[in-house]
Formats: sequence, C-alpha cells, structure tokens
Amino acid sequence: MSLKDCYNFEDFRKLAKKKLPSPIFHYIDGGSDDETTLKRNTESFNDCDLIPNVLANVGKPDLSTNIFGRKIDMPIFLSPCAMQRLYHHDGDKASAKAANRFGTFYSMSTMANNTIEEISNLSSGPKLFQLYVHKDQSITNDLIDRCRRSGFDGMCLTVDTLVAGNRERDHRTGFTTPPKLTLKSLLSFAAHPTWVFNYLIHEKFKLANVATKTDKGTNIAKSVIDYINEQYDPAMNWKDAEHCVKKWNGPFALKGVMSVEDAKRAIDIGCSAIMISNHGGRQLDGSRSPFDQIKAISDAVGDKLEIILDGGVRRGSHVLKAIAAGAKACSFGKMFLFSLAAGGQQGVEHLLKTIHDEINRNMVLMGCKNLKELNSSKLIYRNNR
Amino acid sequence: MNLKNCHNFSDFRILAKKKLPSPIFHYIDGAADDEITYNRNTSAFNDVDLVPNVLRGVENVDLSTKIFGKKIDLPFYCSPTALQRLFHYDGERAVGKAAKKFNTMFGVSALATVSVEEISSLIDTPKMFQFYFHKDRGLNDSCLERAKAANFDVMALTVDTITGGNRERDLRTGFTSPPKLTLSSLFSFATKPMWGINYLTKGKFELPHLQDFVKEGTSTNSSIGNYFSTMLDQSMNWSDAEKLCSKWGGHFALKGIMSVEDAKKAVDIGCTGIMVSNHGGRQLDGSRSPFDQLAEIVDAVGDKIDVICEGGFQRGTHMLKALSIGAKACAGGRLYLYALAAAGQAGVERALGQYKAELERDMKLMGCTKISDLNRNNLRFRYT
Repeated sequence: MSLKDCYNFEDFRKLAKKKLPSPIFHYIDGGSDDETTLKRNTESFNDCDLIPNVLANVGKPDLSTNIFGRKIDMPIFLSPCAMQRLYHHDGDKASAKAANRFGTFYSMSTMANNTIEEISNLSSGPKLFQLYVHKDQSITNDLIDRCRRSGFDGMCLTVDTLVAGNRERDHRTGFTTPPKLTLKSLLSFAAHPTWVFNYLIHEKFKLANVATKTDKGTNIAKSVIDYINEQYDPAMNWKDAEHCVKKWNGPFALKGVMSVEDAKRAIDIGCSAIMISNHGGRQLDGSRSPFDQIKAISDAVGDKLEIILDGGVRRGSHVLKAIAAGAKACSFGKMFLFSLAAGGQQGVEHLLKTIHDEINRNMVLMGCKNLKELNSSKLIYRNNR
Repeated sequence: MNLKNCHNFSDFRILAKKKLPSPIFHYIDGAADDEITYNRNTSAFNDVDLVPNVLRGVENVDLSTKIFGKKIDLPFYCSPTALQRLFHYDGERAVGKAAKKFNTMFGVSALATVSVEEISSLIDTPKMFQFYFHKDRGLNDSCLERAKAANFDVMALTVDTITGGNRERDLRTGFTSPPKLTLSSLFSFATKPMWGINYLTKGKFELPHLQDFVKEGTSTNSSIGNYFSTMLDQSMNWSDAEKLCSKWGGHFALKGIMSVEDAKKAVDIGCTGIMVSNHGGRQLDGSRSPFDQLAEIVDAVGDKIDVICEGGFQRGTHMLKALSIGAKACAGGRLYLYALAAAGQAGVERALGQYKAELERDMKLMGCTKISDLNRNNLRFRYT
C-alpha cells in the first residue's frame, strides 16, 4: 500500500498504522473512555441528508470562504495538532507547506515541535496559532507577542482541556512525549525501523515554542496527559480569555465551545469566531458531537461569529452538511495527521487534493455555485428536531 | 493481566472472569431472558449527550451529596448484592472497608455472607440494609431488629423480586448457593484452584441473616431464582410495605420502583427514598432502563424523596448524566463486584477511585464544581 492507493480516511489511517510505532498510532487514533463521542462525531453526519437541486448550471463552483480575516480557497483547514514531528520527521513544516499550496489555513499548536518563527519563514499562507493558557502567564504572553511579530493571521484559545481526558489506549501503550522505550513498546518501535531512523537522524524532538520556558515534554519523558495537567491552568476563566483576546487584538476564536450560552459569551469578550469542538472525542466522552450541536449555535449567533466545525469530518459531503447547517468552514485533525504520517508533505497534499475534489464534485451534484447557496434548506434531518 | 492493568469496568470484568469459576462469574455477569434490559441499562446513556460550559474556573471539585440525611463524599455508592464471599473470600468485609475509605454508602444484602453486627464493628460510615420480605415473619422481624441494633442508617425493601427472574446462564451452569459441584461445573472449579482453596480455607460460607430460619442457601443448595420463588412472600402489598416502613421508624426506601404511580405511592407510605432499578436487568427482561425512566420519576417526586438511579453505570459520564436529570445519587452492583472478584478490597478501592477520578475530570470538563451545578441544560437527547 502506498499514498496513491489512499482514497479516503480509512486508507490514510491504514497506511499511517503501517508506518507508525503502535503507541504513536494509537495516540492519534484514540479517544477518551469508551470513545463513544469519537464515533458519534462522524456518525452524526449520517442523521441528516442532502437535498440537491438539479439543472442549476453551476459551472465551476466557487469554494472560497473568509475566516480570520483571510480568504481561503476551500472551506476546510488543518486543525492545530501537537507534536507533529512524532508522526513524520518534517512535522509542522510539511503541514504548513501543504496547506499553503492549497490556499488554506495551517494551524500551529502551542505544543508544536517547530517554532513560530521557523514556520512563518517558510509559509506566507494563512496561519492560525492555537494557544493554551499556562499557569505561568509570561509563557502565554510571550507566545502572543511572537505570533504577532511573525505575521500569524488568527489566534485560537483552547478551552476544553482544563484537565486531560482519560485516554485509555495511551495507558495501555505507555505513550509519552518524547517517546520512551519500554519493554512493551520496544517490539513496536523495532518493527518500524524507518520511523525510528528518521526520528533519530533529523532534528531533536522538542516542544519548540515553550522549550526555553519549561523543560516539560522536552527533556524528560512525560506523557502529554501529565503535561496538560501540570502546565495548563485549571482556574482559567472568562477574564483570562478576555485578556488574551485584548492582547492579541485581531481575529480570535475560542476552540472547544459547545453550549449556546458560551457561544454568546464569546461574542461579549470580543471573539470573532468559535470552533465548535469536543477535541476530537479525546476529552469528555459522552459529550455532544459538533455536528449535532451546530444548528442550535448557528441559530443563536451565526450572524455575529464565524462558526468553525471541528471534529468528525472525513468526507466532502460532511463539509457540505456542516456549511449548510451554519459553519463558515470546517477543520480536521486526525484525518490530516494520518496523511502526514502516511507521506509527509506529499501525504497532506494528497489529502487536501482529495478532499478539495470531493467538495467540488459534491457542490456540482448539489447544484450550488458557491457556499452561500448551501443553506439549511438543503438539509433534512431524519429525526425531527 | 493483573489489577494494575485494569483501567475501566470492562478490564475488571475480564480479570474477574479469569479468577472465578464460570458458574460464579456468570451469576454476576448474567441477567434475565435475552439480557435486553441488561444491555439497555448501559446503552441508554448513549442516547443523551453532554453539553459542557467552558472557562468557569474549576480547580476544585466537590463531589459530595446528601442522601437519607447523610452526607457522602461521592454521588455514587455500592448497591447491596448477595453472596459476596463467593466472589472473594473477604466478601462484604472488603467492599465495606473500601466504601468506608471513600466515605460512601455501603449496601448490605439480606443474603449477605457477613453479618450486620460484624459490618457495623468494621465501619462507621453510612450503611444500608437491604431487606427481602420472607414468608417467615420471624425472619423478617429478626432482620429489622438486628439491622437497627447494628446502627444501620437506611432500610431498603426490594420490591422487584416477588418471583425469581429467568436467568438462563444459571440454568446452564447449574449455579446454586452454596456452590454445588456438578459434572458440568467440575472442570471450571478445577481450573480455578485458588478460588477453591480460598473458598474452603477462609472461613465457612454462611448467610448469617437467614440461616437460623431457613436451610436454603447454606445447608441446602438453592438457585437464587428458586430462593426468591419459594422463600419470599408473593402476597406482599403496599400495606405490608407501609407497616415495615413504620416499624423501622427511620430512613426507608423501596428498591426496584419503575413507575411514576408507584413512586408517588412510596411517598404516601412514608418512604424517604426510592431506587429506580430493574435489578440490573436480572428480573423482568424488556423492562425499561432506570436512566430512560428517571426524568419522569424525578419530575413527579424528586422534590419529596431521594431518587436514586441504580443500574447500568460503567463510567463517570454515565453518572454525570443521571445526576443532571435529577438523581440524588447513583448506585450499582456490577460497578464494584467484578473488582471485588478481581482483587478483593484493593480491587474495589481501585474501581471506586477510578470512578471518582473520572467524575472529577468530567465535572471539570463540564465546567461544574459541585453536584448541584448539574442540570438538564447540560443534556441534549438525540431522539425526542
């Protein structure tokens, strides 16, 4: 199996599984508790159906949309994901270059392995930075200042990781960052010599953006979970979020908003966007899926905030449904990480091309010339709600 | 596999299966008929989704709640279950001490294998005695008197076992109390020698609340279904329950209430609480799950008595959902029984500790710091 055999999520996932040591694969692939929310995130798209209009002479549909003050060429972008260097030795550099080539957002995690400055030097394309509020406020402030200097377009603050989710696959595989060899995982690392070779000969693994401020996650083998629990501030509240919005003073999103009430407060503190997300089913299992929840939120605040749907998107038709339900754009994490693991920059480009073509094809089949024409009249929910 | 590999309900179940002779494992694991209700008890939680609120400042979470006039540190407790020394030689001693450590309620069954007097000498934390209404009125009076003398806080009358459920796994494995060696179970007992050694050497198997009155279960082998069908009084009615309630003269609950009508009657006869329960799916298969039925009951009587949701809980998030609907507390049997079988007191403590850690984590992720912060605004039903 190679990249050219990858047509969909399952294919990218399979190829990634082949290439990655198992603790690392399962870190991407897993969710929290029983993974019910993880599964529901994708399943929920199947509870509603698209109703096409025919004979609409759509020609070449316009897939562009505006978010975070930038026009992007298609309504899907790469979610911020931590530690991409674990999945491919080029890590964030590969993702950033691929996103730039397809005219859409690359997002950088606070826990990226490349620096803000490195990435901004190699991509002039749309860039979003994902912020965690650390207990040490100087870390948070420093990140915001550096993003401004480096020309990032938008900032998103993750609000659903006050405490780490119960990711049982990681308990079982003993996943840590940087990867630690245990007797249990040894076999799996040994079975993936190419990964190990690339990991060792390329630049040293570090949490580049916070490396000078904390040695956690860089020098000692820490599980991500411990990092989250030790470094992030569980007392974070709306005032702290407002401080970040003001300090950034540009397009700003809260990532991980699920309730209508919180979406309204996001407007009050000056956010321009929200990302409806349950962290890819990796935090609170049993929480509602973004797609199940988007309509209630877009009915309430859709005219005042850019709504981004994050979680469960695996198909062009999922993107179409999300837009019809009120999203300005979607983002995905797992799916693009599998493509990154499967083939680095080339893998991500292959994925973006595939999803672009699906969205394009489906727009034509729906009879829609642009994303504005995709409205709630194009959707019918199977269970009345 | 050992205790430190147990991260959740299903891990404990697997370890219990490894440790127990199969008739005993299947007695815990099984339910009535096709086990549809048993499965629904848990899957019902998946038809409702949680909607968190963010940025609330949640560094400290208080999980305590008050039931039957007692403050307990956790919003869940150990339901009374029968025959615990069959599952681990320490039986009720192990569960009681673990419950004490977490300061939560411990339910002791009439079919317990350790006496109320001994339990009461071991733990000073809240205790509930579960009572079956026997034909033998002398036995009934003795149970009430002994529980009262042993300072039990709550009396719970089980009302859903008027006859035995059709537990087909027990029919196939030939499970009885005390365990009987049959040709078909011989192999299974022989392959778990540790269980056999402990059973035979760690003190005689007894049913201390019953054995002065009945032989069944101790000196005469009996299946549980058969015990319910022959020893319990099928003529039991509301007036009997009312008399027991006033005779007890303290916190009194009916365990196994499912209809709103019955919940209201429970209030009328003076109960201070009810357990919404279908006996873990072990009695009437096809009956509604406690969680599916909870909202109707809370709406009808939630302001008058403590409504406890019992059955199906395998996760902290399941409990969060029941508490959001309005349950005062959650309870379960298998919740801790697999862990008991897996490793005795240490197992139960690990299980209770994990549920507690899950609840704390889930409360933070929900943006809630105390149980009373949870309400139905947190929930969306997928099918309405």
